[in-house]
This record gives sequence, structure tokens and C-alpha cells, in this order.
Amino acid sequence: MDTYPKNRKRLWFAVGCFAVGSVLLSSFALAAGGGADRSGDLLDLLYRWINFTLLVIILVVVLRKVPVKEYFDSRVEGIKKELEDLKKQREAAEKKAQELESKLKAFEGERKEILAQYKADGLAEKERILAEARDRAKQLLEQADVSIQYELQTAKEKLKDEVVAVAAQKAEEIIAREMTDRDQDRLVNEFIEKLGKTH
Amino acid sequence: MRRSRVSKRYAKALLSLGMEEGRYQEYGKELRDFADFYESHGELNQAIANPAFTLEDRKEILNALLARGAASETIRNFLNLLLDKNRISALAEISVFYGQLTDEVSNIVRAEVVVPRPLAGEAETKLGRALEQMTSKKVRMNVRQDQSILGGIIVKIGDLVVDGSVKAQVQGIKESLKRGE
Repeated sequence: MDTYPKNRKRLWFAVGCFAVGSVLLSSFALAAGGGADRSGDLLDLLYRWINFTLLVIILVVVLRKVPVKEYFDSRVEGIKKELEDLKKQREAAEKKAQELESKLKAFEGERKEILAQYKADGLAEKERILAEARDRAKQLLEQADVSIQYELQTAKEKLKDEVVAVAAQKAEEIIAREMTDRDQDRLVNEFIEKLGKTH
Repeated sequence: MRRSRVSKRYAKALLSLGMEEGRYQEYGKELRDFADFYESHGELNQAIANPAFTLEDRKEILNALLARGAASETIRNFLNLLLDKNRISALAEISVFYGQLTDEVSNIVRAEVVVPRPLAGEAETKLGRALEQMTSKKVRMNVRQDQSILGGIIVKIGDLVVDGSVKAQVQGIKESLKRGE
């Protein structure tokens, strides 16, 4: 790569020399053109030949001195290298694309796995919640059953107490109404007899 | 509680004096009569027990009252002592304790008899005899009427209660029915 600018300078130098020589020769030719008509044509031709010969000589010298071949070789090498680099870059890009594709495929698999896992977890959670709800419902039913039994028993006892209280009240009213002096005397006598028997 | 103890001590002191003199029954009656009179007259009660008046004035009132009555010398002195010691307000309690002590000394027990209607004379006698047999003491009965017991009889002697009332029997049946027996 270092030779490329050097050759380029040489090439520009040769071209410059050729241009300067051509200009000089042409000016000589034009100066000489003012003489006789025929001899002037020959001289013009001679000058033209000389000019051409000098041009060829200059070109040969210059082209010998200037490494044109090297320039084009290096240029070819550069282009080849660029092509190699581009090929490598393309291969790297293809490789990268393949990697990304494989990663994408892997991600797809992973995504499916995660989804499946979430689904399984969701189902397990659903089962757990349902089981818990069933247990809770069972407990509530049992508690309700106990409460009902308790309330029923309490109501029964309350009803029984009320019936007994009413019956006792009625009995007392009947006794108070129906009790005679004779009954009272009999009760007192029985009481006295019992007192006597106890001692 | 402390007052009861003090009252009992005064009652015992008067009883021992009465027993020495052989007049404890008489003293008991006099004490009870004056205690009833004293308790039933609020103005008298407030005047004699009121420390706003001087002790001499209160004594003068007490003795003026006693002079009109037929209280013995011992009872007069006892009541003056109560006034001196500022225990006159406990007179009713002392009288009750004195009655209990005299009953004990005389081997007497008091029975409260509750009936719905008056006892026949013969029944009362038989009951008194049965209670005397039961307690082995002379029984003084206080018969009280209470129609709420419906029928039968209730006897209370001290802490002992013998309930032969129809109401108690009805209550017993009621409890049995409640228990489901």
C-alpha cells in the first residue's frame, strides 16, 4: 500500500515532462513556419518527426523510470485485497446472520418452553385455588351445620322452657283456684308427719 | 361487721348482768320495748344520736323518756352507757343479739312459719311439738301468711329451711321437665 502513492507521483512527473516537451517542440515548429513554402513543409515534417521521436524517447525514459507496472500490480493487489476483505466481511455477515437465525430459533424454543411453563404453573395455581376454595366451602358448610344444630338445640330448649313455664304458670293458677282448706290441712299434716319421721 | 361484734359484746355484758340478777328475761323485754320505741320515732332517734347536740342535752332527753317509762335501773344505766360510748344508734342490733342470747340461754329456738292461710289450732300445736322434737329445743313460732306459696308450709329455723310448699313442688316439677327427666 505504501508504493501506491510513490508510483502515482512518478506517473504525474512523467506526464508533466511530456507535456512541457510537447509545448516546447510545438513552439519551435511554429517559429520556424514563417520561411519558404516547400522547404518549410519538409522542415515542418522533420520537426514533427523529431518531435515524435523525442516524445517516444521521453515516453520510454519516463515509462522506464516510472513503475507503471508496479502501480497497476499494486492496484490489482489492492483490489484483490479489497475483494478478499469484502468476501471475509460477507462471510462474517453471513455467519452472523446464521448465528442470529439460530438464536432466533433458540428463542422461539425458549418462548415455547416459557409459555408451556407458565401454562403449567397457571394450571397448578388454578388447581390449588380450586382445592382451597373447596376446603373453605366444606369448612363453611360444617360451621353452618354446627351453627344450625346449635341454634336448633337452643330453640328447642327455649321452646321447652317456655312450654314448661306456661304449664307451671297454668298449674299454679289451677292449684290456687282449686286449693281448699281441707287440702291445705292435709298438706300441713303430711308435712308434720314427715318432720316427725325424720327425727 | 365491727359494729355487729361490738353490739354482740354489749348484749353479752347485759345478759351476764341479767343472769346474775336473775332478771335477764325482764331486761330483754325492756330493752326490746325501748328499742322498738326508739326506732319507730325518727325525730327522737335523730335528737339522741345527733352529735350536734351536747351529750348532757341528749342524756337529759333520754332520761326524761326513761323516767316516763317503767324501765329498770339496770336498763337505764345501760342505755346511758350506750349514749356515753356513742353506741345508741346500735340499740336495735343490740336488742336483737340480746334476744338471740336469751333464747340460747333459755334453750329456745325461733321458727318462722309461712302458710297461705291460717293454721288450724290443732295443726299449730302439732307443728310446734314436731319442731321441738326435731330441734330438741323449745320452739317459738312466728306464723306468717303468704298466698304466693299456693299451699303447704315453709318452716325456717335459723339457717335451716324446710320447704313443704306447693309452689316449691311445682318448681321442682318444672325443673325436672326442663332437664327432660
